[in-house]
Amino acid sequence: MWPRLLLAAAWLVFQLGAIGYARFVPARYFCWAPYDTQTEYWVTVRQAGRELSPAEVRQRYRRPAHGFDNRSPQNVIDMFQQAEERYHRADPARIEMRYRVNGHIDGQWRWGPTE
Amino acid sequence: MGPHRVTNWNPLRCSGTALPTPLLLMAKIVAVAFLLGVDRVMPAPFLPFLGPLDFFAGSTAFALALQVIFTVSAVLLIFNRWPRASALVMGLAVLTAVVSSKSYYGNNKLFAGSLLFLTGLYHPRTGPWLLRLQLVILYFGAGLNKALDPDWHSGQFFHNWVANRLEQPVYLWANRFFPPLVLGKLMCWFTIVAELGFAGVFLALPRAWPVAIWGSLLFHASLLEMTGSTFNMFFYAMEAAVLAFVAWPRELIVIFDGDCGICNKIRVRLTQFDFEGAFSWRSLQSGIGDRFHIPRAALEERLYLAADGRISSGFRACKLILLYSPAFYLAVTLLLAAPGTAAWASWWRRILVALILAFFLPLFNPIGELVYNWVARNRHRISTGGACAVEPAVRQ
Repeated sequence: MWPRLLLAAAWLVFQLGAIGYARFVPARYFCWAPYDTQTEYWVTVRQAGRELSPAEVRQRYRRPAHGFDNRSPQNVIDMFQQAEERYHRADPARIEMRYRVNGHIDGQWRWGPTE
Repeated sequence: MGPHRVTNWNPLRCSGTALPTPLLLMAKIVAVAFLLGVDRVMPAPFLPFLGPLDFFAGSTAFALALQVIFTVSAVLLIFNRWPRASALVMGLAVLTAVVSSKSYYGNNKLFAGSLLFLTGLYHPRTGPWLLRLQLVILYFGAGLNKALDPDWHSGQFFHNWVANRLEQPVYLWANRFFPPLVLGKLMCWFTIVAELGFAGVFLALPRAWPVAIWGSLLFHASLLEMTGSTFNMFFYAMEAAVLAFVAWPRELIVIFDGDCGICNKIRVRLTQFDFEGAFSWRSLQSGIGDRFHIPRAALEERLYLAADGRISSGFRACKLILLYSPAFYLAVTLLLAAPGTAAWASWWRRILVALILAFFLPLFNPIGELVYNWVARNRHRISTGGACAVEPAVRQ
């Protein structure tokens, strides 16, 4: 019984830790915040002097250029930023994102080299 | 190969394995919904939460391997082959897919995967408590996050989501009768109180579990009615999870009028779908009523069900017969999940869930009892394909 119980307990305790950790960071992972935020966003990406098409944006980041996410905007930002940091160091792009959280006035986020 | 082993391959059967009936049923509901849903397609790793998984970034072989493991274990689970191990492997496959890709990550898949994983770690001594705690933690986390969010305090979240994004006509109509954001605020606070309330009741108030189970079912069904969406796996996993709180009876005795033709036909038909062999049908003429101190006159009026000695009758007994039949849940899951993402699927799901709720909600009992009583009173007349073995007048 004990190995199973310890494994299950570790998994459940991890979730409780994630719930506590989420109180100190803007992102929401593994902390059970489903559908708690409505983020609508628009990104434009310029790479090597030209703007990427929506299909190219989806290919590069596995996300549409304009879309909704039912989580914190930080979850969306993470995907764009971390994709650049991990997979596109050799071909960096300039990302400009406009986002609206729960219908509030737009916020903005930028990443990457200015041309 | 003996008949028992043949029966155990039956995917509609959920008893006779290492897992208790409600837990295997729960795992099967999740497995069926997964196999029929869009989330069964697992992507190659992309921005994994665990660094080493980046080694497989973009690897279609990794995605394919995960897919094969997931599908094989789901099929094994559904056909009652090593169900605990199959649930564990399936849960691990889903959780691996979730942590290997931020684009695949989602609370609905995380919860469904966790249910399967914890089902796989089931032990008779811990019982279903691991799964119960999982639901408690989910409700606690969801309620806490909302309770600390200013947009949930003000009602802005709900109003923006339902009015601006979904353009939900019932909300838009009702909102005209309230000052700005007041209806949104009411809905937000109702949600916060409900989620934290479910967490508290499921953790500490076993006597109130039936109320919390109904509340949880209605809460998620109303979300489906409002949006037409199951939120991928979320609806199925949440509705299935409450099975961890259900005390599944070990002895189910149905007492019916053995002299009535239509009663016998119903018995034969329902027995065909009783894949567990759970129901013992006993005619009132056998004298079984004495064991439960039910008067003969009462037995002649309506059907009785004794579930571990707890007696119910008439329409309520009919509902319980369905509720204690795993095949019923699996058939409903198939009907809900099979239409996929087709445009009409949202309406099909809304209608089906509304009909099921109407049938099972206590509010419908007076109508159900009226219909039941009429059929019971006239059962000797409406019996098709021949009269009763013994007409009431003859018996007297």
